Amino acid sequence: MKLPPNVSQADFSAALKAFASVVGDQWLFTAEEDLELYRDSYSILWGEPDERTASAAVAPDNADQVVELVKIANRYRIPIYPISTGKNLGYGGAAPALTGSVVLDLKRMNRIVEIDERHGYVVVEPGVSYFDLYNYIQEQGLKLWIDVPSPGWGSVLGNALDGGVGVTLAPYRSHFDAQCGIEVVLPNGRMMRTGMGALPGAKTWQQFKPGFGPRIDGLFKQSNYGVVTKMGFWLMPPPENHATGVVTTPNFRDIIPLVDAIGRLEQSKIVQGLWTLSSPTTGTPGFAAHEAGPSKQQDPKILAILNDPGGIDMDQLEAAAKSKGLPFWACDFNFYGPRKLIEAQWDCVRDALREIPGARFKLNEIRRLPLPPEELAKTRDLGPFGIPTLRTFDLGPMISYEGEDVVGHIFFSPVIPRTGEAVIEAMDVFAAIARKYKLPCPPLQFPSSLFERAFLFAVGLPVTRSATVNAKIRDIIRELVAISAERGWGEYRTAPAFYDLIMGVYSFSEHALREFLETIKDAVDPNGIMSPGRYAIRSRHLREAGIV
Amino acid sequence: MMTRRTVLGAGLALASACTIAFGECGASARRHRERRSIDALLIDESIEMLRQLPAFITASGRTLPVVGIRLDAAAHAGLRRVLDTSHAIVGISLGATLFCLERIAWDHGFRLTGRSQRCATDPGDDACRHDVAAYLSGMHPLAAMPSQLIRTYRPSRADGLLHTWVMQKSASPQLRQGRREIHETAA
Repeated sequence: MKLPPNVSQADFSAALKAFASVVGDQWLFTAEEDLELYRDSYSILWGEPDERTASAAVAPDNADQVVELVKIANRYRIPIYPISTGKNLGYGGAAPALTGSVVLDLKRMNRIVEIDERHGYVVVEPGVSYFDLYNYIQEQGLKLWIDVPSPGWGSVLGNALDGGVGVTLAPYRSHFDAQCGIEVVLPNGRMMRTGMGALPGAKTWQQFKPGFGPRIDGLFKQSNYGVVTKMGFWLMPPPENHATGVVTTPNFRDIIPLVDAIGRLEQSKIVQGLWTLSSPTTGTPGFAAHEAGPSKQQDPKILAILNDPGGIDMDQLEAAAKSKGLPFWACDFNFYGPRKLIEAQWDCVRDALREIPGARFKLNEIRRLPLPPEELAKTRDLGPFGIPTLRTFDLGPMISYEGEDVVGHIFFSPVIPRTGEAVIEAMDVFAAIARKYKLPCPPLQFPSSLFERAFLFAVGLPVTRSATVNAKIRDIIRELVAISAERGWGEYRTAPAFYDLIMGVYSFSEHALREFLETIKDAVDPNGIMSPGRYAIRSRHLREAGIV
Repeated sequence: MMTRRTVLGAGLALASACTIAFGECGASARRHRERRSIDALLIDESIEMLRQLPAFITASGRTLPVVGIRLDAAAHAGLRRVLDTSHAIVGISLGATLFCLERIAWDHGFRLTGRSQRCATDPGDDACRHDVAAYLSGMHPLAAMPSQLIRTYRPSRADGLLHTWVMQKSASPQLRQGRREIHETAA
């Protein structure tokens, strides 16, 4: 067990005893067997001295206990690290950002505090998973839908605080943006509610986001300014129908007018469902770090172009695709709602994209929701139907990299402009890195339209149990970060090993953002007990001691 | 999907496994069965061979809850019920399923105490049958696996192999004990 930095054994023992007096002895975990479960299975530092590990874990039952635990942590200067369900593998999982921290495990706090069908919201505690919420809604027969990330075993609240996203309608996909009202235990042990929740007996806590005065909810996203103990979320009514529509275009550079036209449809709120970009030239989509499974029989000429060690010549690929009657691009749209709305949306898509020469359109069957169980059983991706699954883990056996078993992956996740030009540039830049290091990536990678106004270009990188190979991956990520920052692309989220690296590139005006966050940290958490190091935010004593 | 497709009495999986699919077990197996109480057999419904298992078990006249598992929400609800009420479970699944299941089971106090991945590409081969039968019958010592296999399952090229495993509740308490009360539901 590693003690927290600058904490004596005597103080640590006294703090643990005090923690146990609050939660009960059985909810304090110090045995190696138990602490093993608070490691991130996908850690890129696994088994190395710098791997972030916990000294203990404590599991409160309610917010009042959280208050008491935070006060004790202040008394003994013990760093605590709240987790909700700890299933965010690759982004830290259940592991703290600072070695020696005591994990504040909030899984026991799994109450669905309030759910309101009429106004479409839910208030949950941190331990409520997407599975829990989905199953509760089904059991109660409530007319509500949730937006789920993949995988779906994580916490609704935790996913939002980490900046997680889902795949249904745009207003609900960014989970933090869909929140309305936070209850938080501040680092001094005081409980606070944001927005209308600051009004005792408020009737509109989950209905009016702005509240009165500055809107501070965002301070609790990807930060360490408190323990969020309750959070409200807007939910959507179940759509009546769902349909997919496919638009294909023949030329590589069609991507530019394609993205522009779709962007206007999204800005006008005509297209609200997620749309995905792919290229029929690649056969089946590939998945980083997994064997992609049997692919469609591909034309040898196209395959040779895709696998050219010198890079893909897009003109050649376009010509080869045309000779086989394949379009270069395919856009799959998801539509939800009344049949007449779906048909009207599709008409708008056709009107907007018919200007692209050679564009073809196909609206698939409009299916009544909910889909019958037999259809759901055949559907691999249930996310678009608001159903959480763990099927992302079932993509096929992991592959190897540099002769080592791949045991997981971490994502390099830059946000790039919502333009076809940026897509072309990013595909070129990241494919070059993949070739340079022989990364297990598909030959063509595409941006995701999860966010409304920008693309996400997530590159999955393999994690192994070899320190040598993991060190190489860390170097590759440093290179990717530098290359991206030069182009004005920044990451929206990262693994704990890269918090400082990423925060370092957000350096406008001599790192004014980081210094502002540190100023807040020093003010609200002078003892630096709350999740030190999370998203590279530390209190003064850790900064001055150079502890990361 | 998690379904209690066959709820008979404890030990039946052994009988079916021995007599029908997995070779000879006999008196030795019965002795071991008495020693160990397995509360449920979890089978990965993505494996065709395993889908047939409940039918074999039904024929045996012994009882053991046989629970199908899938990586989705409907299965999760049933899985939680089994994890809440069991103390020892045996499972046969792909590695990817085990990886997820183990992490869910941790929160219910379970730890992986035995695992075999010897039955590789062909779940119908003799080695596989004997291995599965041994786990189900209790002939396989619960903690006899090499330690590196016991601690946790990690994803690998073995994800697609068939894994036979045992999980038992540890002394640690259950962090998740079913869903908590709802304070308020507005319709």
